[in-house]
Amino acid sequence: MGVADVIIAGVIVAGACYILYATLWKKKGCCGCEGGSCCKK
Amino acid sequence: MSTQLKHKDEELDAEVSGHSAAARTITVAVAGNPNSGKSTLINAIAGTRLHVGNWAGVTVEKKEAFFEFGGRKIRLVDLPGTYSLSPYSQEEIVARDYLVHERPDLIINVVDATNLERNLYLTVQIMELGIPVVMALNIYDEAAEKGYRIDDKAMEEMLGIAVVPTSATKKTGLDELLATALRVADTPKQRAPKKLNYGEDIEVACDYLAKSFRSSYPALIDHYPQRWLLLKLMEQDSHVMKELGLDNLDFLDQALHHLRRAHGEDIESIMADARYSLASGLTHEVLHKPELRQTELTERIDKVVLNRFLGIPIFMGAMWLLFKLTFDLSAPFGKWIGAMTDGPFKRWASAILTPLGAPDWTVSLVNDGVIAGVGSVLVFVPVIFAMMFFITFLEGSGYMARAAFVMDRTMHSIGLHGKSFIPMLLGFGCNVPGIYATRTLENPKDKVLTALLVPLMSCGARLPVYVLFVGIFFPKNSSTVIWSLYIMGILLAVGMGLVFKQTLFRGEAPMFIMELPPYRMPSLHSLCVHTWEKGKHFLFKAGTYIFAVSVLVWFLLNLPWGVEHKRDSYLGQAGAAIAPIFQPVGFGNWEAASSLITGVIAKEIVVGTMGEIYAPKKDEKKDVPTLQEDLKEVATSFGAACVTAAKTLLYLPQAEEKEEDQGGLKVAILGAFTPLSAYAFMAFVLLYMPCVVAIAAMRQEFGTWKWAGVGLFYQTALAWTAALIIYQGGRLLGLGG
Repeated sequence: MGVADVIIAGVIVAGACYILYATLWKKKGCCGCEGGSCCKK
Repeated sequence: MSTQLKHKDEELDAEVSGHSAAARTITVAVAGNPNSGKSTLINAIAGTRLHVGNWAGVTVEKKEAFFEFGGRKIRLVDLPGTYSLSPYSQEEIVARDYLVHERPDLIINVVDATNLERNLYLTVQIMELGIPVVMALNIYDEAAEKGYRIDDKAMEEMLGIAVVPTSATKKTGLDELLATALRVADTPKQRAPKKLNYGEDIEVACDYLAKSFRSSYPALIDHYPQRWLLLKLMEQDSHVMKELGLDNLDFLDQALHHLRRAHGEDIESIMADARYSLASGLTHEVLHKPELRQTELTERIDKVVLNRFLGIPIFMGAMWLLFKLTFDLSAPFGKWIGAMTDGPFKRWASAILTPLGAPDWTVSLVNDGVIAGVGSVLVFVPVIFAMMFFITFLEGSGYMARAAFVMDRTMHSIGLHGKSFIPMLLGFGCNVPGIYATRTLENPKDKVLTALLVPLMSCGARLPVYVLFVGIFFPKNSSTVIWSLYIMGILLAVGMGLVFKQTLFRGEAPMFIMELPPYRMPSLHSLCVHTWEKGKHFLFKAGTYIFAVSVLVWFLLNLPWGVEHKRDSYLGQAGAAIAPIFQPVGFGNWEAASSLITGVIAKEIVVGTMGEIYAPKKDEKKDVPTLQEDLKEVATSFGAACVTAAKTLLYLPQAEEKEEDQGGLKVAILGAFTPLSAYAFMAFVLLYMPCVVAIAAMRQEFGTWKWAGVGLFYQTALAWTAALIIYQGGRLLGLGG
């Protein structure tokens, strides 16, 4: 595995972690209520 | 003659307002009882222009729409459905505060024509605000079918408000309603609702209060709707008193003392009586029911489904039928998606990535990580949507309210009211809205207890796990086995409720009146809209965090880099470390343990992770079909799925199914589990700790981690114990190992 592979892998992992952070933590997921807004404060 | 003159005046008034009136946006608040067809009416008027948000500071849903009608700009604000404007629930407070402080130009009061008297109680309260009102006499078609004749002209006369018959489901009367609303909004002075007479004693007390209050607090009486304010003061409405900073008013005490002595009752009852009398009197004046009323369909059905002995078996039967229909209809489409993700999609991904010079590991990441992981979950989208469709049908038809009613007795045994069963029923779709729905319960103790029990209801996210295992181990009794898991969840909720009642939540269940709406045939449009609303977040999850977790799981299964066996990967090692815990319950292998770890994020990820762990090695010898062949296969197999589903629906005999090509995932699971350990595994997935979003919902709803922590701990302990009893009990009974 070369340096380029490590960088690409790092970017992909960081992107996946960001998606998790944005959807689970920041947006608190989509909780499936009618209109999808019941979990928003 | 006088009516004609009045209309002329209004037209002149509107003309004088001229361009400024045409340019301004008219704010219309829509208020009504729950089940009055308010949401259907708003959806019919606003359609896709509806914006959903929250009321400031609270978690009550707020719907708003901006649109043009007759060249005028209209802002439609949907108020929460309430039975009154008393400050008992969050919904009532939100609706009332909006009307009092924001003062919309007009209120459209949606009234259920089949339930006139009860709905008019809210109308009477709305009229106290002095804001122009237009009544949408909704569900008018059903009332007519029942033989009800409602004299809407007499009602207009008596209340001094415009009344427009509507049917939101059939979209009739809506244009007339909006046209009337515009007319009324343009001539508010002529259209103020009549001041209803609450009886001599109350009116005298009101006049006395008005004089005393005006001399003591002139600013306040001009700031609020006068009659509403005076009536609230008489009711000693704590919310209003606090807001105004008023306490111990001598003149108020005098007026109330007189009223109490004259009626021999408390003030709240006197005021409620006055309003109910008006609603009742008005109903008798305007509503003409057929004299020889036959036993209505609703009553006839209720005699059976609410029967003391038959109620619960019928509910169980309805649930079984729901699963049967769900799986029979959705299975062909699930298989179709599975075949697509396993075959053409992976081939297309390789065909795109390889010529671009992408490293081999990225091709594997896409195929064995993303497509295997997300694909394993997407396979179950048809089953989830089919289930949401049938649940929506039961809700829309009015049966779900009956289910809560028949469960009332059982719920009382665990210190809860049948009303608490409604959040639990919602939990069958997704636990998170079920937890949020506990806010409709008045008692804080009930809210927490119900929220702790909601995650025991089997949500749609567990369904992919059941369908996968049941398809492998119990193909002939799939719906019965899955039904048994749902029933297990309900029974354990009752059992845990009893335990909590004896320990953390002692006390008697409060009494409530539960509303049983009449049975209705929901329209296909509304069924589709609500099914989409309920099911879309599974697609959202697949596109966001299931996708992200699939990527991370692939890395965890391939690190340290170049690892030969997945067992030696980081995820494999973590799974192997905790696997001994699951040895006594029948699935002490690292694959199952690893899937349960990732399944904490969302339960369907259990299947996604298994899809990645058991992803088959590439078979180089196989002939690779061309793109044309692939596309042909996609189309023909979809057509075959439609035919199979249609035959199932029509109970037509089906061709003997070909021996299926046992996919890698199926073969691997067959090797790792027995039917008994598979059932124990499904029970564990049903019961173990709620997903992270459900935990976050509990934290948000109760403002502390305490109850989320209690839920997490007790559920995991319960899951392990239940799985142990199933597995070891089954072995003792000779059901296999």
